[in-house]
Amino acid sequence: MPYSIRNNLIILIIVVSALPFTVRAEYGDVLMNNYSEEAGMRPVVFPHWFHRIRFRCKVCHADLGFKFEAGGNKINMLKIIDGEYCGACHNGEVAWAVESCDLCHSGKPGEPTQVHESTTSKLLSESNKKKAGSKQ
Amino acid sequence: MKAQSFNLPRSPHYFSKLIAVSSLIFLTTPWLYAASEARSGIQIYDVYCAGCHASGVLQSPKLGDKQDWGEREKQGFEVLLTHAIKGYKNMPAKGGNPAIKDKEIENAIKYILANSGLGQYGKKPTSNKTMSKAAEKNDSVKTKPAQKPKTSSVNSFNRLMKSSAEWNLPPAEDGIHDSENGGTHMLQKPKEAFESLSSSKSGNRVDWVKALKNKEISPRYDRLSDEVKPIVMDLNIIREVKGSMPDVVYPHKQHTEWLDCSNCHPALFIPQKGANQISMASIILGQKCGVCHGKVAFPVSECRKCHSKQKPLKKAITNKQAN
Repeated sequence: MPYSIRNNLIILIIVVSALPFTVRAEYGDVLMNNYSEEAGMRPVVFPHWFHRIRFRCKVCHADLGFKFEAGGNKINMLKIIDGEYCGACHNGEVAWAVESCDLCHSGKPGEPTQVHESTTSKLLSESNKKKAGSKQ
Repeated sequence: MKAQSFNLPRSPHYFSKLIAVSSLIFLTTPWLYAASEARSGIQIYDVYCAGCHASGVLQSPKLGDKQDWGEREKQGFEVLLTHAIKGYKNMPAKGGNPAIKDKEIENAIKYILANSGLGQYGKKPTSNKTMSKAAEKNDSVKTKPAQKPKTSSVNSFNRLMKSSAEWNLPPAEDGIHDSENGGTHMLQKPKEAFESLSSSKSGNRVDWVKALKNKEISPRYDRLSDEVKPIVMDLNIIREVKGSMPDVVYPHKQHTEWLDCSNCHPALFIPQKGANQISMASIILGQKCGVCHGKVAFPVSECRKCHSKQKPLKKAITNKQAN
């Protein structure tokens, strides 16, 4: 009998480990880890939902020049302090300024750049995601 | 393992025991079934109703559509219940499953109404509310953290589908924020923000277009000014599709409410009839419509939001005749 219990256990372990790791992020949350972790900071989480309650897509994606591509804008702190990208609003006038590091740099260490809960991140393998690349 | 059990020596009573046990199971099962409590609204909805009422098949009112359900609810709950039990227009009696108990149908309707913004059909019975109030008053009793809402076994089995307990989690629990980071706990919780917004069945569980239309949100069109109004273009583009799916209606109106022309034209879509090759495969790969739909705008699972223009049906396959 211990033999069958062990078998069942093995099956259970296989089934459980086959379950996809459940990230339950909000639809459209963008995680950016281009430079953050190399520089000793947590990756950045950009919550799309929070921003779209306050701004229409056009403000960032047309006026500020954000490309429709996670991590494709090569944003760094220098650009932000110069008033580009996030810095157009996160300057202490429209929204909080760059001093509040940990409000943006709040991602789990080790997380790769991606749009969470997106169709591509759910359906495609890592290598295919790069091939599919959704550049504007 | 099997081979082992076949070689086991069987006692002379083996078969009589087997018969006794199996007849016991046989006899008690119907009794247990009859005595089992009526299933909850969500259990019934997920298994029997969602097939049509999640997406609005056959002009059925969709879960979450306050207007549609509100109109029906005005006729009185009894009318709704009768229609659901006996059938009405496209709605088959008990959704085509006569085995469902009347009480269960009632639960399902209450669940649908409660989740379509008709608050009086709230999920908690009043007795529970008074109990929790009493608990709050009693200082010595510490209130327990809110239990996660029960989800049906059907949904929890489907590994690809998030149960409602996993929607709109606070940043610290969502798996991508570092809960050890101080700032994480200062961020707004999605549920708080979405509470007053029109709901949908996918994405953020918010119907963003409806929320904007109903002025539940007023996002700026300009970085600095609340006064700048979007340049809205009201022009529908109809794309005929090859398969049996309804044709696609692309509404410029809803898109220009949010976006600038330059966001799509000419890089994603050449503004010329017939110049753009679009396939579902490319959309799922994050191209064309998939640049937004499947990332921030409603995902491709909402087929009928785009494929919304019914092709002229041939007489032989109309629904009524089929029935």
